[in-house]
Amino acid sequence: MTLSTRRSLPVLLAAGITASVSIQTATAQTVVTQWDQFAMAGITAAGPAMDELIGTCEPDLGGATVLRTIAPSIGIRDSYRLAVSANKTPDLAYTWPAASVLAGYARVGALAPLDDYYEQYGWEGINDFYRGRNSFDGAIYGVPMEQDLMGVYYNPTLFEENGIAVPTTYAEFQAAVEAFKEKGITPIAFGNRDRWPATNTLSLLLGLTAGKDGEEAVLFGDASWTNDQFKLAAETFQSWAKNGYFPKGFNGIGYDEANALFLSGRAAMTITGTWVLQDMARGASFDLGVFMLPPIADGVPPGTMWGEGSQWQVSANASQEVKDATAAYINCLISPESRKVWVEKGYLVPIGTTPEELKQWDTLPIVKSFFTQGLATSDANFYDLHTTLPESVTQVLYPELQRLIGGDVTPDDFLSAMDAAWETAIDNGERWVP
Amino acid sequence: MTKSTRLVQNLILLVFALYALVPVYLVFLAAIRSEADLFSGPLTLSWPINFNNFGRIWSEAGFATFFMNSVITAVSVTILVVLTAPLAGFAFAKMNFRGKEALFGLFLAGLVVPAPSVIVALYGNLQALGLIDNRIGVILPQAALLMPFSVFMMRTVMQDVPDELIEAAVMDGAGLFKIFLTIVVPVVKPGLMSLGLITFLFAWQEYLLPLVVFQTESLKPLTVGAASLQGRYGVDYGGIAAAGLIAFAPLVVLFLAMQRSFVRGLTAGAVK
Amino acid sequence: MLTTRSAYLFLAPSLALYLLFVGLPILQIFGFSFFDWDNGIAGDFIGLANYGRLLADGVFWTALWHNAIWVVLTLAFPLLAGLVLAAILAERNASVVRWLGAIYFIPRTIPLVVAGIIWGWIYNPIFGLLNFALEAVGLGGLAGAWLAQDNTALLSLNVVGAWTFFGFCVIIYLAAIQSIDPSLYEAASIDGASWWRKFRDLTVPLLRGSTLFLGLYAAIEAMRFFDLVWVTTQGGPGYSTEVLTTHIYKTFFLVGDFGYAATLSVVLLIIVLSISAGAFALLRKS
Repeated sequence: MTLSTRRSLPVLLAAGITASVSIQTATAQTVVTQWDQFAMAGITAAGPAMDELIGTCEPDLGGATVLRTIAPSIGIRDSYRLAVSANKTPDLAYTWPAASVLAGYARVGALAPLDDYYEQYGWEGINDFYRGRNSFDGAIYGVPMEQDLMGVYYNPTLFEENGIAVPTTYAEFQAAVEAFKEKGITPIAFGNRDRWPATNTLSLLLGLTAGKDGEEAVLFGDASWTNDQFKLAAETFQSWAKNGYFPKGFNGIGYDEANALFLSGRAAMTITGTWVLQDMARGASFDLGVFMLPPIADGVPPGTMWGEGSQWQVSANASQEVKDATAAYINCLISPESRKVWVEKGYLVPIGTTPEELKQWDTLPIVKSFFTQGLATSDANFYDLHTTLPESVTQVLYPELQRLIGGDVTPDDFLSAMDAAWETAIDNGERWVP
Repeated sequence: MTKSTRLVQNLILLVFALYALVPVYLVFLAAIRSEADLFSGPLTLSWPINFNNFGRIWSEAGFATFFMNSVITAVSVTILVVLTAPLAGFAFAKMNFRGKEALFGLFLAGLVVPAPSVIVALYGNLQALGLIDNRIGVILPQAALLMPFSVFMMRTVMQDVPDELIEAAVMDGAGLFKIFLTIVVPVVKPGLMSLGLITFLFAWQEYLLPLVVFQTESLKPLTVGAASLQGRYGVDYGGIAAAGLIAFAPLVVLFLAMQRSFVRGLTAGAVK
Repeated sequence: MLTTRSAYLFLAPSLALYLLFVGLPILQIFGFSFFDWDNGIAGDFIGLANYGRLLADGVFWTALWHNAIWVVLTLAFPLLAGLVLAAILAERNASVVRWLGAIYFIPRTIPLVVAGIIWGWIYNPIFGLLNFALEAVGLGGLAGAWLAQDNTALLSLNVVGAWTFFGFCVIIYLAAIQSIDPSLYEAASIDGASWWRKFRDLTVPLLRGSTLFLGLYAAIEAMRFFDLVWVTTQGGPGYSTEVLTTHIYKTFFLVGDFGYAATLSVVLLIIVLSISAGAFALLRKS
């Protein structure tokens, strides 16, 4: 059965209404609809770079023009899912997540496979790890662009004033937190009203207790969520919340508000990712610093959470002509020259950018520092849960994490709930494996 | 009434007036504050007051477009409802026909239908009709969702039209539609006004339907625009407050100006 | 009364619109609920399997419980406040009634999305007015993260719901009081009845019809409200403010499981229809 009749079957069954013909117009002037997240403020606020690159790369569209919609980074994920179910995906979108969610879209035929273009343009900067995360059933469906990393932003002035050194071990990290608490300074600005920020924190903690191998054993193997390393991560997170590492009422504080708290000098650190580098760099009244959270469990190598911030994906509905033009356009957007623009104007580091390039390019010290530290542990990179899990599991993870750190459930309860959602998703064939 | 009773009563009236107004006052305060520190306390008003937030939100954040979209949608829904519901109300109030009870019951059931339930299936239908990301895709369902209330209210209003008026016109051999237009409509004009106002209010406030139907930024109304500011504009609370004011100030002004008409509409279905 | 077939022509426009965009989708969700869905695409016919999931779905029962609490809270607070305020206002002069009536109703004109944003600020743990005010009067110990704690979130949210609703109750009750024969009150006054006696023995019983109407209205709204929760807590923290509509929205739009979302919608529909059938039976009796 073809996609379109399957889609309208229940409509017909329930009502006997005939689906009207979908409108496919061929206009003289080809327009490529593009959704992206590059606003001027907020998450992934690389707007200035995108503005410049549209000028640079639009000629590669072979006479077509870009009709651009800027969607907020958090909202674009839901908008895109709606577009998939409405069969109205934009020709080109810069959206997230990859892995299970992208696989879900590929599974229902919403996305165009890009293998031919990978071959034609030789996008070698995108390594097998990222190709895997953007693949389903042997074909590639996305061109991941943004290199995401997690780290600890800190306020060097507050560290200096209080005689606290930047921690290099987990014990030193705990000591630093205690020292800030004693001085009456919020140690870590953290707000989880938006439900997703805690997911990033947990992803980092899982990597630092279970290591990449431990994560893969659960995510891609048969191991259960209720293992000792995962339990240590859950316990650690809950104890941070209980022991005053975060501001009071963190489950009622917005992500932006937590960042503002840090940027106003009222908190010593905040643990989040490179996706908010732009806002951090523009908003800080002090010289920003960043360090990587040291391993928590013995024997786990240092590392940090990695991922593609988002990926370019092309609609299966686009005409061949539009697909070809879009691929040429993407090729331009991720070229070495364009990568330099992303880094310098957008403080966004595209995948495949080397530490050497970063050193030479004209960008902020915090950008260089963050990526130099983060890229140094490329073998140990950890997974970001909500860009890897199927949506049905993520929608359990969000509320369960709020309860875990709010002290409403035990780490064991949390992991059991996750394991149950995980089993259901696997039974329903939603799991993505590289 | 004793003095103390009256004192207690006044106190109750005052407390609820504050309950109603303080939040509104807070938004106003936040909107006219100069670039102030978010954490310096909610009641600090730094002079001079300024209206930059409005200008910024209106032009840079696209609120001029959101505002126009709200106007277009709410006015279209209102026109659609005012053109159709009174006809049905007239039929239910003044005519006998087979299946009247059942049809009225059908409308009555619609009074309680939860919009989120309908949207689950409506979404697919709109997609099949090519109405996703299209104004019509919000206007028609919105009018339909308001129809049960409107028909119900119009029936109540039409019952007040004296039967003699209509009977006299029928004797004169006038057609029913002509009677409706020339005799009934002039009598129920205040009722139509109330219907229009309330429909406009509800249509302006709608959030879920435009949230799921519109994908293009330039089609979205104020409610969706204001909600999406949280997260996109970080902690620009002056801007968000200004956006909130833009979203509700027209309704407050409209309500205060037309209070009597509003109240007549709201009570039409309830008291009888 | 005119007996005529043209009635159908008068009904046709509104009926067509209503059936196409409300009636039809309601029939369809019954159909949807018998299928397995993936990312908004229908798969196999699975009979009642989606209904079978309801029993084991803890979130569904939690949400239903929260809706029930919301019904009770709405009946207890805004309705009672509206009744008392209307009874007081009934004896004041016209301009006081006009102004206070308007003031009480203003929150109802504010879109719930905006109301949610405003009250989110009032409740904010780091810069909110409520904690600020509590500290100013020496009650800082009571300060909290109102919308972010399991034990206060739903109640705090209900205060916002009541804020938008009590003015409507005032208006409905006022209109009803004004239609009561004033001689009843005069007679009671001559008998020396206190304000409270008149309120209890005259106003409350005579307004039974309005109370039933508002009660039904409040109960239905309590079952189907969405905007307020969605812009403030999205059902959180955890499941503390999860209600049926947020559960439906998440299942439908975030997970793409149209079949189960339709099943939940059917359940919600059956609940509101039962409530209104019960209330209408009561209304008819009175």
